[in-house]
Amino acid sequence: MRHRFLMLVLTASAIAALSLMALPVAAQAPRPATATTATKAWTPPKTSWGDPDLQGIYTSDDYIGLGMNRAAQYGNRLYFTDEEMAARERTIQATAQRNAQEFVTPGGNVGTGPPGHWGEGARRSPRQTSLITEPENGQTPALTEEGRLRQALYTRQGAGTANPEDSWEGYTYYIRCISRGIAGSIIPVIYGNGTEIVQGPGYITLLQEMVHEARVIPIDGSPHVGSNIKTYMGDSRGHWEGNTLVIETKNILGNKTGIGGNGGGTPFSEDAKFTERLTRIDKDTIQYSMRVEDPRTYTAPFTFAFPIRQEPGYQNFEYACHEGNNGMMNQLSGARAAEKAAAEAAKQK
Amino acid sequence: MRTRILLVAVAAMLLVPVSLWAHHAFAAEFDSTKPVKLRGTVTKMDWINPHAWIHIEVKATDGKVTKWMIEAAAPNAMLRRGFNQDSLPIGTEILVEGFQAKDGANRANGSSITYPDGKKLFIGSQGTGAPVEQ
Repeated sequence: MRHRFLMLVLTASAIAALSLMALPVAAQAPRPATATTATKAWTPPKTSWGDPDLQGIYTSDDYIGLGMNRAAQYGNRLYFTDEEMAARERTIQATAQRNAQEFVTPGGNVGTGPPGHWGEGARRSPRQTSLITEPENGQTPALTEEGRLRQALYTRQGAGTANPEDSWEGYTYYIRCISRGIAGSIIPVIYGNGTEIVQGPGYITLLQEMVHEARVIPIDGSPHVGSNIKTYMGDSRGHWEGNTLVIETKNILGNKTGIGGNGGGTPFSEDAKFTERLTRIDKDTIQYSMRVEDPRTYTAPFTFAFPIRQEPGYQNFEYACHEGNNGMMNQLSGARAAEKAAAEAAKQK
Repeated sequence: MRTRILLVAVAAMLLVPVSLWAHHAFAAEFDSTKPVKLRGTVTKMDWINPHAWIHIEVKATDGKVTKWMIEAAAPNAMLRRGFNQDSLPIGTEILVEGFQAKDGANRANGSSITYPDGKKLFIGSQGTGAPVEQ
C-alpha cells in the first residue's frame, strides 16, 4: 500500500515537473507584479523617529529555484501569466501535501546523497520569470575580457581548474565560512534565506541567516570610507528616497565573490558598485533590488530583484558555520584517507 | 511530541537543481561502501545552521560505548516538516541508518532515523544518488 503511494507520488511529481517545463510560450501581455499594485494602496508604518519601518525577519524562499537568467521561452516577458502562476501554485501545493504525510519506503534506495527533504522550497509561486529585471531580456550581460580572465583564475568549484580536495583554498569563501559577499548574501539559495532588518536612528542593520553577516549601514549622510579600505562586504551607505531605502556600496575586495549561488561564480572587481533598493510594499513584503555596475567584469550594468516576505514561524536560527558545516572537513579528510590507503596499497606491491 | 514527519520530496528535488546543494559534495564526504546501522541514545541535538547534528552513544555487545554524530537538515527545513528541537530529547533511543564519513570517523549522514516504536524520522528518498557540488 505504502509502496503504491510512493509510486503515485513519483508519477505525480514527474507529471508536475513536465507540466512546468511545458508552460505555454504565452502571447499574453505582461501583467504588473501584484507587489506593484499593492504599493499604491498601502502606507508603510514609521519608526518612532520618523523613518519608514522595514523591520522584521524576511525570507526569499518563494524565489528558490527561479533562475538568475530568464528561460528563452519567455523572451522579454518579466512576469508569469495567471495561467502559468496557477500551474506553479498547483505544483507547490501538491508538494506541500506530500510533505505533510508520513510513509515508509520499503527497501528504499538509501544513498549517500542528501535526503530530498533537506532543502527548502517556495511556498508561493514567484511572479517574475527571472531574477534579472535589467536588461529587458532578463539575461546577465556578457563578461568583459578581464571578466573572462578573472573567471578562469578565481572561480572555485565548477571551473574545473583544480581539484578542490587538494587544499582548503580550493573551496569558496562561503564553504570556508568567510563570506558570501554582498550579492551572494541576498540571492535565494536552497536554504538559509532569512534576512533580519533592525533599525535605529541613523542606522539600519541587515543580518543574513546564512553565514550570519550583519551589515550595519549608516543612513546619516556620512561619506564612504577611504578607497584604500576594502572588505568582503564593502562599505555601504544608505539614504531614503520617499519610502524606499537606497543603499550604495563600494570598496569591496576584488576577486572574491560574485552573483553565483552563495557568492560563487565569476568574482567582481574591486571597482564594482552596487545600488540596492528596499521598499516595503505591504505588511509582510519588501520589494528588493540590486543594481550591479562593474565595467571591468560585465559589459553592461544589470539589476536583479525579488520580494522578501515575513511569514509566521520563520526564524533566523544560529549559524554555527564551523560546527554545523563539516562538508569541507569531510571532503579534505576523506581525500587524505584515500591517498593514504593508496600509498599503503602501493607499498604492498 | 510530534513525530509525524514526512519524507520524500521527490518533486522538490526535481524542481531544484542539484548544484544548489551548496555545502556538500556527498560522494566525496561519505563512503557508499560503508553503510552503518546504529542503535543508540541521543546525548545532544545541535539545533544550528547550516545543518543540525544529532549526537548519539552506541553501546556494543561488549559494553563499549562509542560516540557518533549524525548530520541532519537545516533547522528551518526541519521545522517545515514538523520536526523541532524537542523532537529528540536526551535519552531517546533511535536507530540510524546512513553512511560513514570517508575518513573513517564516527560521523554519518542520517538517511534514516527510526524510533523504537517503528516511526520514522528520516527516510532516504529514492533515487537521490549523490549530488556532487559543482
